[in-house]
Amino acid sequence: MSEKKERIVLDVAYQPQVRTATDTRRLMLDVILALMPALVWSVVQFGAAPLLVVVPSVASAVFFEWAYRKLMKKNTTVGDLSAVVTGLLLAMTLPPTAPWWLPVIGSLFAIVVVKQLYGGIGKNFLNPALAGRAFLLASYALIMGTYAVPRALRGAVDGVTMATPLNYLYGEEALPAFFDFRALFLGTIPGAIGEISALMLLIGGVYLIARKVISWRIPVSFVGTVALLTLIFGHSGMDRLDWMLANVLSGGLLLGAFFMATDYATSPVTQGGQLLYGAGCGAITVLIRAFGGFPEGVSYAILIMNLCAWAIDKGFRRRQFGVSKEDIAAEKAAEKAVRAAQVAAEKAARAKAKGAVK
Amino acid sequence: MSHTFKGGVHPNYMKAPEIPVTVIAPPAQVIIPMAQHIGAPCLPLVQKGDYVKMGQKIGENPAPVSAPVHASVSGTVVAVEPRHHPLGDMIPAIVIENDFQDTPCEDLPPLTEEQRRDPDAILERIRAAGVVGMGGAMFPTAFKIRGGIGKVDKLIINGAECEPYLNGDHLTMLNFPEQLLKGIELVRIASGVDKAYYGIEKNKQDAIDLLNSLHPEQYGIEIVPEAVKYPQGGEKMQVKAVTGREVKPGGLPSGVGCNVVSTRTCYAIYQACYEGKPVIERIVTVAGSALRAPVNGLTRVGTPFGYLAEQCGGFVRTPRKIVLGGPMMGICATSFDAPTIKGTSGVLFFTEEEDRHVDNPTCIRCGKCITVCPMNLEPVFMYMYYSKGDYENMEKYHITDCFECGSCAFNCPARMPLTHAFKTAKLMFQARAAAEKAKAEAAAAKEGGK
Repeated sequence: MSEKKERIVLDVAYQPQVRTATDTRRLMLDVILALMPALVWSVVQFGAAPLLVVVPSVASAVFFEWAYRKLMKKNTTVGDLSAVVTGLLLAMTLPPTAPWWLPVIGSLFAIVVVKQLYGGIGKNFLNPALAGRAFLLASYALIMGTYAVPRALRGAVDGVTMATPLNYLYGEEALPAFFDFRALFLGTIPGAIGEISALMLLIGGVYLIARKVISWRIPVSFVGTVALLTLIFGHSGMDRLDWMLANVLSGGLLLGAFFMATDYATSPVTQGGQLLYGAGCGAITVLIRAFGGFPEGVSYAILIMNLCAWAIDKGFRRRQFGVSKEDIAAEKAAEKAVRAAQVAAEKAARAKAKGAVK
Repeated sequence: MSHTFKGGVHPNYMKAPEIPVTVIAPPAQVIIPMAQHIGAPCLPLVQKGDYVKMGQKIGENPAPVSAPVHASVSGTVVAVEPRHHPLGDMIPAIVIENDFQDTPCEDLPPLTEEQRRDPDAILERIRAAGVVGMGGAMFPTAFKIRGGIGKVDKLIINGAECEPYLNGDHLTMLNFPEQLLKGIELVRIASGVDKAYYGIEKNKQDAIDLLNSLHPEQYGIEIVPEAVKYPQGGEKMQVKAVTGREVKPGGLPSGVGCNVVSTRTCYAIYQACYEGKPVIERIVTVAGSALRAPVNGLTRVGTPFGYLAEQCGGFVRTPRKIVLGGPMMGICATSFDAPTIKGTSGVLFFTEEEDRHVDNPTCIRCGKCITVCPMNLEPVFMYMYYSKGDYENMEKYHITDCFECGSCAFNCPARMPLTHAFKTAKLMFQARAAAEKAKAEAAAAKEGGK
């Protein structure tokens, strides 16, 4: 019996010997699930068109991730579902009328250049989906700026494409009556596949926070800053509250705040850092919308803040356990006293030396 | 109001206090290692061929930080030689052939009522009975209490039992509540304080109610119900939850006027003082998916793990790990022949089922390690600097403050070996400090030689 037991090879490991069930794949799956309400709403409003963007986007993102790692003889990572998330998020930022090859080009840039060239998941410093979108916006501005009429507005407007609420505001035009608060909130407006319905995005965002996939800090400080700044500064010819609501509920703000700015690899991990980062995203969004060359500023705001994430984290260290604020103050005071004593001693020594010379 | 701390995790508790205590039949041979405590290892007091009684002192070291060991059965010494120690190495041990008579040794008579009010008499007995921190740290209890006299104004008894699987403390509370309170009273008297605070997690509400019904105030004890969260039973977390104080970096609880003594230690002290019984047995929770069902076994010190598993119904699946203590802080044994010792609160036979191993763990920078660290640390950065071998930044990020509770690695969705890395880093820091000290001493000696 004991002989038999000796043949069992024992694994010897440091603690912990148990792990939570939530793994990377589960977190990514939650993000995918959280995007579903917005995607379903988009299909309701635009028919099958969004699916003809989403499917090639996700498929090509997964393919490029797999192919790059295979070619470079690295371990396969498509199982963690992060490439699915990138492909899905990229598609959500594109117009429903985009041709199938547009997201394929975007995915190639996002997955290969932005994500894999820097080492893959967790190592990239820019949000791959947003960088992919920025690449497409610079390359195919016309396609990226053409928005289909949602089902709810067919008959109310002529033609098959129309301007978004932010286009109206950017052009200093008053919002038409069919872009009222209800329309913006429910999402009976034109826009990118994943951004039109504030309600659907809020459902997904609350789900992510409830499942602890993301913390509330970045979305709340991001949206809160946009709301606060637009409320304070207002806009000539518009009621302050209307201006604020139009800014918060239309465009890519909620999609960006809940799903893009919270990307793990490219946002701060410290709590204070997350608040500052969200506020920075909000402030830059408002600046671009008010003074920039585009009606929309969320993507660029997040990309700019991505570049600051690591530096921000360095500035928000946690208080060391067992060291109170008073301890830190006392230590600083003691250091100051020592320095002062040194300076005094040096002065005295110099004075003495001077005296000796005389 | 619920007493608690910041951070922490909620593992799957897997507790089974409803399973009554089984007496594990002592094995034909017990192995008593000479080191069952932190400090100087014992020197054997018996030789091969000697007859020993149950409870007889068989190993001792006069150093202040040490604790004697006792025979857990009566019988004949068949070997005094290095044997597998549960913590890895081969360590000198005394092997006793059990005569199954359990002939008791009468060396330690119960203390008189007068002695039980005398701190010195109690402390002397705690040492003589070989009592060590039975929560797992195995620090000699008499030395710890003596070191706190005059410094400690808050005595905390640790009844959190926050580790999954383990039930020994809970069952002691339920089965021996009055004895437990008397044991705590002895620790309180020995510590020279008027009151002891007994912190118990609220998942043991039945024990809290039972203890409260016995009027703990007459023993100078207040029961403090605590939120259920791992690692509530960590010393620093107990101090924080009960008093709001924070132990200084690198310091001991006594540095902020606190001492923390575990439930099972207090019960051992009751047995030592009221019954004249040294530490030769304890409740060991035997569990894990390699076994059919968990067992709360009253187990003699020196029972080999292989034998213990057989007594608990044997394996239904091939075990992959033998985990000593709870799964969050427990480390793995290297052999089925290693025995249980005083600090063994659990022996868990784990298979692949408990292990969520991945082949290429990759940090996704989610920061979930930061939110759960009870020591306000930032494991994501500590690990990054550890990987680079960047000592300066490891120190800047207070890596040595980590007490290896395992919360960060438990919560890591990418399955990064965080606690493993920090434990290794701490050992490297110790080695560096020792090397620097040796260098300085050598330089000083050279200077002196001139």
